[in-house]
This record gives sequence, structure tokens and C-alpha cells, in this order.
Amino acid sequence: MNETPKRRRYLPGDPEPESLRQRMIRVDHAGEYGAKRIYEGQLAVLGGDAQVRAMAAQEAKHLETFDRLMVEERVRPTLLSPLWHAAGYALGAATAMLGREAAMACTVAIEETIDAHYRRQAEALGPEDAALKETIERFRAEELEHRDIGLAEGAERAPAYPLLTAAIKGGSRLAIWLSERI
Amino acid sequence: MAEDRELDGRRRALLERMLRHAPFDGWSLKALEAGARDLGLDLGEATLLFPGGLTELVAFHHAEADRVMLEALVRHDLAGLRVRDRVALALRLRLEPHAREREAIRRALAFLAQPQHAPLAARLLYRTVDAVWHAIGDRSTDFNFYTKRALLAGVYSTTVLYWLDDKSEGQAESWGFLDRRIADVMRVPQGLARLGKLGERFPDPFKLLRALRRRGAA
Repeated sequence: MNETPKRRRYLPGDPEPESLRQRMIRVDHAGEYGAKRIYEGQLAVLGGDAQVRAMAAQEAKHLETFDRLMVEERVRPTLLSPLWHAAGYALGAATAMLGREAAMACTVAIEETIDAHYRRQAEALGPEDAALKETIERFRAEELEHRDIGLAEGAERAPAYPLLTAAIKGGSRLAIWLSERI
Repeated sequence: MAEDRELDGRRRALLERMLRHAPFDGWSLKALEAGARDLGLDLGEATLLFPGGLTELVAFHHAEADRVMLEALVRHDLAGLRVRDRVALALRLRLEPHAREREAIRRALAFLAQPQHAPLAARLLYRTVDAVWHAIGDRSTDFNFYTKRALLAGVYSTTVLYWLDDKSEGQAESWGFLDRRIADVMRVPQGLARLGKLGERFPDPFKLLRALRRRGAA
């Protein structure tokens, strides 16, 4: 009667196995939190940059939305929050120390990664998740605005622009992959 | 659904009977069979009610205790209580109703303590502390989500062990133990805050960097 299960079975009282929707909320929350920390790192070095401050304020609103969704749907946050807390700030500060253009390049790289990420998520969502899909599309449009601002403010003039953006994109994709699971 | 409720009712009845035999036969099929016999069922019918066997039984027992705790918690006014009092209340509501089943619970814990059940034991403990935090109003979305659950898991498991052997009237000493453990844990954020204040004494490296850049640009 008692066998050792190879995989985790559903037991009485267990919550439903995590849905795609819940993983999305977790990773998006982690992403917006990381973005907030990156901007904080940039502002620490650049001081009172109005442009960066405005973008940071928009990210803060995104984060609030995911905070609310996370609590409403009882999604657990990523265990890697402390890592993103430190790494985000470090990335923002490091790129800002290379110069304002490098900070803008960082923004461009991150926003392009997030654009692709939100696009994939929106495609994966069905009609029963229409409200979430609409939110993600709206945020995606705003992230693209940030990318355009970054480009307009001279991101491509940053030192080692192709290498810098490639590295940051690679890192963000890894961060997204990890936060979906851990 | 009505059938689910009926099924749950039968499962609860069987569990309750089994709990009376568990102190003598352990958390075992023998106890389950004895409990089933009390209800006029045989082991096969008992297996139909709990196809997952002893692991499903222990999970069901845990889930039922959580459910009873949450239902009782809702009847209290939590808004007027401090967080630590809410936690103490929740854990008391979790344990107090089961004072007469402590021997059976001891057997269940012995079952869960077996190494092959370690993941299950961890899962059941997590479910309970998550339920408690959510019910008393925790809305953290950062790493505090995990630290709170980890700390409560420590408080809860030590309290259960103390409570199992508590011979005082109404287990009053257990509640004193619980309050002391919660107080210990409350000291952690205070200690951390003190460390944070120490950190503020050091100069901010980024302010220095900014000042240097400004002077360089000027």
C-alpha cells in the first residue's frame, strides 16, 4: 500500500500545483524589483538625474502592481530576492560609473530583454487571463518607451556598447530563467 | 460539492478512529485497520478512503488541523492585536483542540521523522506556517516572506515538542514557552536594526564618488 513516490504527489491540503500564471507573476515581480534596484544604483552615482528619476518612478508603479497581484493570488516571491537586491544595485552603479551613456546603454539592454520577455508572456496567456495580458502589454509599451529614451540619450555612444549590452542581456535572461523556478 | 463533503466526512471519521489506536499501534496500517474495524470497514475500504496510505493520512490530519485553526482564527478580532500576539493566538488555536490526541500526534511525528518522509514533513510544516502568516495578515513580497516562515517554523516545531510532554493544567506552560520563543525571535529584527544603525556611521561610498565627479567636472 505504501510506495515511495518518484515524483511529488498531490496530498490532501496541498495547494494546486503552481500554474504558469503564478510563475509569471513571480518572475515579473522579480524583474520589476531588479529594475528598481538598477535605477537606484544609477541614481546613487549620477545624483539627481531627472530622466532616470522619471523612469524609476514608472518602474515603481509596475512593482506596485505585481506586489498587489502577488498577494491577491498567494504567489510566493523568488528566493533570489536578496541576490537581485544586491546585483541590481551593483549593475546600476557600475554602469553609471562608466558614464551617463553607459547607464543609458544598460537601460536599453534591460528594456530590450524585458520587451522580449513580456511579448512571450503575452503570447502564452489565454483569454481567461485577459486582464493580466492587458497589464503586461501596457507595461511592455512603457518599457519600450524607456528603451527609446535610453537610445535618444546617447546609449550607443557608451564605451564598448556591443559588449556591454550583450553581457547585460545575457545576465538578465539568466536572472529571468532562475526567478521563474527558484 | 455534496459528494466531496460526504467523502471528507467519512475520511474524518476514519481518521478520528485511527487516532484512538495510534498511541498503541503507532502510525501504522495496524492502527488504520483497527480504526476501520470500529467503523465496520475492512482494510480494503479504508484504503479506498486513503489511497495514498499512511502519508496521505498524515497529510490529511495536518490539513484538517490547519483548517480548524483557520476557521477559529477568523472568529477573533485580529486587528487589535500586535503581530506577536496574533502569532501566539494562531499557534494556540492550532494545538489546543488536540490536547487529548497528543499521544497519537507523537506517533505521527515519529512517522514523519523517518528520513524518507523528511520532504513530506518539511512540506507539511511549510503549509502550516504559510497558512498562519497569511491568516494573520502578512503581505510581504520580499525575502521577509521566507525569513518569517523559517522563524515561525522554528518556533512552532519547538513548541509542539514541548507541548507533547506538558503535564500542566490546560498546557499553560506550553503557552508560556511559546511566548518566550516568540520573544526570542522578535529580538532578531532588533539586533539587525542595531547592525544597520552601525552601518550608517560609515561614509557612503557613492556620495564620495559623486562629490569627486562633481569636483572633477568643475
